[in-house]
Amino acid sequence: MKGVKLHVRVLALALLFIGVASTAWQIFVLNIPVSSETTEPVWVIDAKLSFNARDNSPVKVQMYLPPVWSKFITLNESFISKSYGVNTDVVGDNRQAVWSARRADGNQQLFYRLMLTKRSNSRFSESEPGPQFSESPELIGVEKVAVEALLKPIREQSADIETFIREAIKLINEPSNDNSRLLLGNDYTQDNKSRVLELLLSSAHIPVERVHTLRLVSSVAQVSELWMRSYNGKRWLYFNPETGTQGLPNDRVVWWTGDEPMASVEGGRNLKIEVTANQRTMNSIMLAQSIAERKENKLWALSLYDLPLQSQQTFEIILMIPIGVMLILLLRNVIGLETLGTFTPVLIGLAFRETQVFWGVILFTFITALGLSLRSYLEHLHLQLLSRLSVVLTFVVIIMALISVLGHRLGLDRGLSIALFPMVILTMSIERMSIVWEERGGVHAGKVGIGTLIAATLSHLMMTYEPWAYFVFTFPGMLLVFMSLMLALGHYRGYRLTELFRFNAMIKGK
Amino acid sequence: MSLFSTWKDLRKKGVMGINQRNADFVLRYNQRHLYPLVDDKIKTKERAVQAGIHVPPMYGVIDSDKQISKLSEIVKDHRDFVIKPAQGAGGDGIVVIADQFEGYYRTTSGRLLSRDDLEFHLSGILSGIYSLGGHRDRALIEFRVTPDPIFSAISYEGVPDIRIIVLKGYPLLAMLRLPTRQSGGKANLHQGAIGVGVDLATGITLDGTWLNKFINSHPDTTNPVRGVQLPFWDEFMSLATRCYELTGLGYLGVDMVLDKDRGPLMLELNARPGLNIQIANDAGLAARCRTVEKEIDRLAAKGIHKPSPAKRLAFCQREFAQPSLITRNEPLATEVLSSISNEAMDSPPSNP
Repeated sequence: MKGVKLHVRVLALALLFIGVASTAWQIFVLNIPVSSETTEPVWVIDAKLSFNARDNSPVKVQMYLPPVWSKFITLNESFISKSYGVNTDVVGDNRQAVWSARRADGNQQLFYRLMLTKRSNSRFSESEPGPQFSESPELIGVEKVAVEALLKPIREQSADIETFIREAIKLINEPSNDNSRLLLGNDYTQDNKSRVLELLLSSAHIPVERVHTLRLVSSVAQVSELWMRSYNGKRWLYFNPETGTQGLPNDRVVWWTGDEPMASVEGGRNLKIEVTANQRTMNSIMLAQSIAERKENKLWALSLYDLPLQSQQTFEIILMIPIGVMLILLLRNVIGLETLGTFTPVLIGLAFRETQVFWGVILFTFITALGLSLRSYLEHLHLQLLSRLSVVLTFVVIIMALISVLGHRLGLDRGLSIALFPMVILTMSIERMSIVWEERGGVHAGKVGIGTLIAATLSHLMMTYEPWAYFVFTFPGMLLVFMSLMLALGHYRGYRLTELFRFNAMIKGK
Repeated sequence: MSLFSTWKDLRKKGVMGINQRNADFVLRYNQRHLYPLVDDKIKTKERAVQAGIHVPPMYGVIDSDKQISKLSEIVKDHRDFVIKPAQGAGGDGIVVIADQFEGYYRTTSGRLLSRDDLEFHLSGILSGIYSLGGHRDRALIEFRVTPDPIFSAISYEGVPDIRIIVLKGYPLLAMLRLPTRQSGGKANLHQGAIGVGVDLATGITLDGTWLNKFINSHPDTTNPVRGVQLPFWDEFMSLATRCYELTGLGYLGVDMVLDKDRGPLMLELNARPGLNIQIANDAGLAARCRTVEKEIDRLAAKGIHKPSPAKRLAFCQREFAQPSLITRNEPLATEVLSSISNEAMDSPPSNP
């Protein structure tokens, strides 16, 4: 006996562990939301390219796209263009789209749409390592002197690549510094500053690269923001060339790297790029699904969301039945409520899905009462059990049909839902109830009937509670948790609540 | 008083709950394959006859619809008889015929039944209305027990019976069940019969329970139920004790009756006996089970694995005797009651 107890405990704990672990894995590793209500922001970035094509000449438009190693997960990207062929390639660290057409006329418009989530991309860290050494350029004359004069204090005030670059950016942006002014040559544009920075750093053999980023703020006509990055042997360091701050803010998405412009066109003029960003919200579970689809995650594919929609709805109901069953287990073994049959209340509770609780209770009571009176009449006819049951069942069907027709006539659509009541269950309930009535009296029969209705209503409410339905459907590991609870209850030795009242007399004296 | 303290007090008293009974005793001591032996009254009876345990004699068995018509032949030599479903539970489906004349049968409550009525009832039994799983069943026709007049003062109609709960052949608790007007002459506690605790050592009744409450006197006859000496007590006890060997079921409720002429008879066995017997005796079953289990372990340690029924009986009568009854000096209520019952017997009985 002790061995069995231990066995059950170990089994229950194992099931509990597996259930909780799989649920935790789904929540924390697969990032599946715990509630169907959760929404997450999604960014929709539209790029519109417009240009004038030269008459009757082939057109080729090249545009950089955000790389696969981007910090954000790409949900969806689409290219919209009339009579253009589109190809995407990976060029170094960048991704590139190429639109091409044999011939185009007049004003042309190309669209590119990208949907991003703010969820962190696991591939972010896998960005290709960059070079760590740069050839110093050949400098002559004044420039050479200015560069050396600038590098000297930077070397003195820096400890590593990171601080070196920051110092360099600071000096270049200092308007009072003659050396930097000389190098900039009165051209204080972003572009020029970057050029000088590159010159300065490559003289110190530090490679830097331009990074073009986009801000994730709802905006119209955004221009890409320039950042500089350098590989320190372990990871990429990003610097703002204006302020020298290190680290890319969370709302920046890297678009492309290098010195080239975002897009270029062959066989056209007046290329204009308009980039707009928009924030939208999206249901988390759908988001998780579409991410999984893109990742082609086989494990996620094993989930119930992989089923056809029709079966999904069926399973959403089926998976809730264990909750109802567990409730019955609790009501009977821990509370001590008496019900007709063991799982009859769960089946009645399922029927309440269609009829709603109020009408369900009324219809159940009505049909059972009518059935009971027929049953007591049949008692006098001395019928055998099977034929009596058949008569009662047919009677139940007739009543259900009548209620439906009457309900429809009166415009009560609730009446139609009665058809979903389980007839056999009703018939057996009537038969059992009438035996209980005969043997234990009407009071007891009423008690059992009310107990059944209470259990059915409670199990219905639990089985249709949306957040739970979602939770169990999304995390089927919960079924194992239920199973472990049921196993544990199988060895419950304590009193039932009703027994505390039943045996109350035995301790009254104290 | 909080529910929690009720719980604790009940535990302290060793009161057994349904969950504990099912898991620790019924499931543990009663092997499934032995159930048919107690669930089928015909099998129980056959087994008991072989083992020399007294039972109400069986007149006949009806096991098919064809045989229903043989009823009149089976009962033609018996004015009174009882029809029982072989696998019925809780006294359901039992018809007690007190008399028959001109093709009509009179039940103990005075209702007249035609032969058709009885045959319909039999076909109901056969189709399994009263059996636990709704299986086809057999009907059993047997001797009608006439209760000993000792009970007439504290019982209303029907036949009082004695239930003894036996763990591995050790009697734990005994209860006398007395029909009331409410129970319709049935000795069934949940139908309103009274349960009266009985001292295992002496067979003298204790206080009673009625619908989960303590009572001192019978609600219909108003006579006190306490202090009645049950006759043939040792025979009842030995009968119950031997039922363990009869069935092999470790946790058993043995139902017995006292017939006016035949003495103690074993009526039926129950593999899931109810728990109200604890209220009747004001004693916890779990506590007594623990005492017995300790004794079994003690004997097993000494190498005794099958103590004789007499030894087990002696142990229980020593351990579970009610001290208050032994030391009591006042005259037993039995004498008072027997005079009342004699009076009752003088006047024409309301019900034969």
